[in-house]
Amino acid sequence: MGRGGARDGAAAAPPWHSLPDEVLEHAFSFLPAAADRGAAAAVCHGWLGAERRSRRRLAVANCYAAAPRDAVDRFPSVRAAEVKGKPHFADFGLVPPAWGAEAAPWVAAAADGWPLLEELSFKRMVVTDECLEMIASSFRNFQVLRLVSCEGFSTAGLAAITEGCRNLRELDLQENYIEDCSSHWLSYFPESFTSLETLNFSCLEGEVNFAVLERLVSRCRNLKTLKLNNAIPLDKVASLLRKAPQLVELGTGKFSAEYHSDLFAKLEAAFAGCKSLRRLSGAWDAVPDYLPAFYCVCEGLTSLNLSYATVRGPELIKFISRCKNLQQLWVMDLIEDHGLAVVAGSCSKLQELRVFPSDPFGAGQVLLTERGLVDVSASCPMLESVLYFCGQMTNEALITIAKNRPNFTCFRLCILEPRTPDYVTRESLDAGFSAIVESCKGLRRLSVSGLLTDLVFKSIGANGNCLEMLSIAFAGNSDLGLHYILSGCKTLKKLEIRDCPFGNKPLLANAAKLETMRSLWMSSCSLTLGACRQLAEKMPRLTVEIMNDPGRTCPVESLPDDSPVETLYVYRTIAGPRSDTPDYVQIV
Amino acid sequence: MELELGLAPPNDAGSCGKRRSAEAFGVKKPTLPLFLRDDDDDGDHGNGEDDTGDARDCEISMGNKRKRLVGWPPVKSAHRPRSNSHVKVKMEGVPIGRKVDLSRHASYHQLHHTLRLMFPSTSHHGDPYAVTYEDVDGDWVLVGDVPWE
Repeated sequence: MGRGGARDGAAAAPPWHSLPDEVLEHAFSFLPAAADRGAAAAVCHGWLGAERRSRRRLAVANCYAAAPRDAVDRFPSVRAAEVKGKPHFADFGLVPPAWGAEAAPWVAAAADGWPLLEELSFKRMVVTDECLEMIASSFRNFQVLRLVSCEGFSTAGLAAITEGCRNLRELDLQENYIEDCSSHWLSYFPESFTSLETLNFSCLEGEVNFAVLERLVSRCRNLKTLKLNNAIPLDKVASLLRKAPQLVELGTGKFSAEYHSDLFAKLEAAFAGCKSLRRLSGAWDAVPDYLPAFYCVCEGLTSLNLSYATVRGPELIKFISRCKNLQQLWVMDLIEDHGLAVVAGSCSKLQELRVFPSDPFGAGQVLLTERGLVDVSASCPMLESVLYFCGQMTNEALITIAKNRPNFTCFRLCILEPRTPDYVTRESLDAGFSAIVESCKGLRRLSVSGLLTDLVFKSIGANGNCLEMLSIAFAGNSDLGLHYILSGCKTLKKLEIRDCPFGNKPLLANAAKLETMRSLWMSSCSLTLGACRQLAEKMPRLTVEIMNDPGRTCPVESLPDDSPVETLYVYRTIAGPRSDTPDYVQIV
Repeated sequence: MELELGLAPPNDAGSCGKRRSAEAFGVKKPTLPLFLRDDDDDGDHGNGEDDTGDARDCEISMGNKRKRLVGWPPVKSAHRPRSNSHVKVKMEGVPIGRKVDLSRHASYHQLHHTLRLMFPSTSHHGDPYAVTYEDVDGDWVLVGDVPWE
């Protein structure tokens, strides 16, 4: 391979220059991570071409970062694509309707350039029935459709998918808003259709034809994941389980039946047959009396999602304590500190814990304190990801947690009342969060809350060397706080800030940093229009979007520099400014 | 609870029971505080609100209840307590009504925006709609007096 040339005395070309493309592409197929493939593509033109032509999976983290046609042209062999749209804070109502993030241009480009596309995933985007119809008719080997936090479609669009996608393996609908047109979308799966492996319609509000569902489940012998919606009552769940004992993941439907001993027996028998069940979720307005019916599957469970369950008390705790192999637990704060203490003692393999507030807006008693989190982090050595809503916190607790669990990769703490100090010392929680970032050297995601000064951001900026996503609310004293973050945090990709006294100076001083990041969101801070204009002028490869009161329709060009900016959303893009902004969004 | 919202052009005081005086339409800003501010916030947050008096009044009446902020705490609507949140909306002079899902909106701003999209009106460009609802007593009340929740 060219080595002989050295013996001849002539300069030998490096061996890899003469490798044929097929060899390169084969080598690259062993690089699963997009970042590795990107690095390979940067080596030389030859590798760039070989890599991009053979790329099979594409993840577009911001639908406006590149034009759909350009993405399709650049990576012509893609079989699986994922596109994300609206900013994360859209989940909490901070982005008004009709903001954008339409999936249609992506579906159209894919239909044109990726006829062999097999998988499509959209998150926080507007997906219309027309999109779904186009998907159903454009890709002859379409297998996986995943829609997460999307809107704009109805059950009529789903019917197009079930009717048209003959090789469908996964239909995964997570937390979407779906219009119910009462079209019997499930019925459109042909009787000969048997390839389904995942069916998740938990977010659907309306009824489905149970007989059709039962027949579908019966004939799809490879069905592994079945997540039902609220319209399916408990006794029907038992019937389905008997038809599909091979299930690995189950989302139960409505779980609030009155206790009947024969239904209990039916359920218990059905679950006893499910030897492969590993993941359980559901909307459990549960009657605790039914929980023992699940006991036989507890030991096999690796994932338990009770975040929609208002069940509480000793039955809940007894149930969870039997789940000795749990890796992932999502619960409501109804579990309380003593429940988490039991989790700490029982679930030694726990990796991820999420505790959601049952009464987010009320002034009810504090159900959950720092105690629960301290116990779990002390006793669960593999715990690395936490989302925790609670009423109070102390620096001492955070310092203890940091010492116990230096292996955190994701730490999101939300103290419900903004700007709450350490409830014992009345100090800020700077020391506690600083301990977290100093100890957890692999921390990739962090959300802070409570009373915090600029000093905590100094610590985060200096120590957050792996930090990719940071969420800040009601924190900091001055521009310095933002400056610490933007001038530190070398690997920061997403920064979202609300209600902080951060102004123009740190934004402009760190303008170049923004091009190394995916996006920046700042709402209810102290920004003015002039600085945004300067930023846009200085950084042509950023799109600088201003969002103001939807009631105000005067164009941004006519406003003076010192006009306050309610919401700023900045992101890097190679596509230039988008053309689909609603009237309340202006691109500066 | 069946809730009905009514839209009327600003000059039509007849559709509104509790606030008959024309002042109610003139003085009252159609848009409302996006969030209830703490005392230590500066008054100019760029959210288009220059009527801070309303925000303070809302704070006082909150009492023990946690102050209601838009998008806080950061829980998805799926995780919030569910209720039947669809309301019928009819506009004066328009024969066909619409339905709005209140739980998909986080503020009066967003509701106004959605209503504007549903009932576009060129003749009132720049003028705000008056959005009213019929309360438990059967009176027509201007939307926005009480905190969003």
